[in-house]
Amino acid sequence: MPDETPKQAKRGGLGGLLDNFKEVMYGMAAHDMSRYAIRTRASMEHLFILITMGDLIGVPILPPYYSLRLLPYVVPNIATWKRRMLREKDVSDAMF
Amino acid sequence: MSLKEVFEKNPNRRYIMFGGKGGLGKTTFSAATAYWLASQGKKVLVFSVDPQASLTDIFQKDIFGKGAVPIMQNLWAQEIDADSHIKAYQNEIRKKILDMYGFDAVPEEIEDYIQAASAEPAMEESAIFDAVVDIVVKGDYDYYIYDLVPLGHALYYLSMAKVYDEWINKITKLREEMREYETMVSKIKRQKETDEDKILTELQYIKGRINASSSILTDKEKTAFFFVVVPEEMIILDTQKAAELFAKFDVPIAGYVVNRVLPPELRTQTVPAYLQNRLQMQSAYIDKIHTTLGNQVLGMVPEMERDVTGLAMIEKLAKIMYG
Repeated sequence: MPDETPKQAKRGGLGGLLDNFKEVMYGMAAHDMSRYAIRTRASMEHLFILITMGDLIGVPILPPYYSLRLLPYVVPNIATWKRRMLREKDVSDAMF
Repeated sequence: MSLKEVFEKNPNRRYIMFGGKGGLGKTTFSAATAYWLASQGKKVLVFSVDPQASLTDIFQKDIFGKGAVPIMQNLWAQEIDADSHIKAYQNEIRKKILDMYGFDAVPEEIEDYIQAASAEPAMEESAIFDAVVDIVVKGDYDYYIYDLVPLGHALYYLSMAKVYDEWINKITKLREEMREYETMVSKIKRQKETDEDKILTELQYIKGRINASSSILTDKEKTAFFFVVVPEEMIILDTQKAAELFAKFDVPIAGYVVNRVLPPELRTQTVPAYLQNRLQMQSAYIDKIHTTLGNQVLGMVPEMERDVTGLAMIEKLAKIMYG
């Protein structure tokens, strides 16, 4: 780039190397951890929808007056949630 | 102490409630108290939390679902129309869904849920509960007089705040834990910001509303709860039981007002045996009320010569109650 100073270009080159190194380190050390955290977060999201919107799959849970206020925010997750709640479980679930 | 003194000695009180079994005179006392306070120059709103409200009947003015309707100078009355409140609430939710996702129509299963939720038995009470929060948080009046539902229902109303509070606390905690996981992931991935959790914000808003309502119901300085009793055994026993239950919910009980007392001058007159018996019965129960409740009895209101409806009768009753 014409307005890029030589110092920046140098940092970019070194930075690129550093970024690659970081990516490798992240993959080795933290990727599994973050994947696990995301999965736990998703399970909790499903638990949350069950607690507040249980009625959607026929579980009558608590007066839903204030649940309705939360409904708009969970609309995109309802399909996956229902699939997960209603699917049959088998032994392979414990393995993967 | 008289009712008048109770009001004069507690100028910070803003929320006045009359409770008791059905048909004992809660609405009548609420209307008379509102009338008296308004005639003292205070700005007063009397409103009903009963789905079968009778303020319309007592003021002889159709006020149902019309917001705060002026009755006389300084006095407004309101009856909440739970049905239209629920409909407006449902529409608000539908609109939010359409706006957020750019849908042309609300998806069928979501619409079904919205419909089913409104058929839920507690929906009406919850809607009234929510509408009351709107009324009282505005703070437009010097006094808010709650014309309460009969005892059993009133307990349900009080417990609703507690149930909702616990429900909200639990799911807020879950939501906060989810938030921790989100933050952890973005830290690992070295992302600078995580999106705001709108559900958490919404939960905090709901929590604020519930707290506003329950803090009023239990505020010893600003709230006074009066029990209406009549001199009859079952009523006295039930009221005592209810008072214990109300105390468990930390409701500040300010005293008892005895209604439908037969005028004592009848005793000196020749009256039929039926009335003699009623007089003797009442006299025994009035003694019992004095022994059991002592100085918590703030007033004895006589049985009126006719039912209390219309401002003239309300004024008459207010004069008897507050001198």
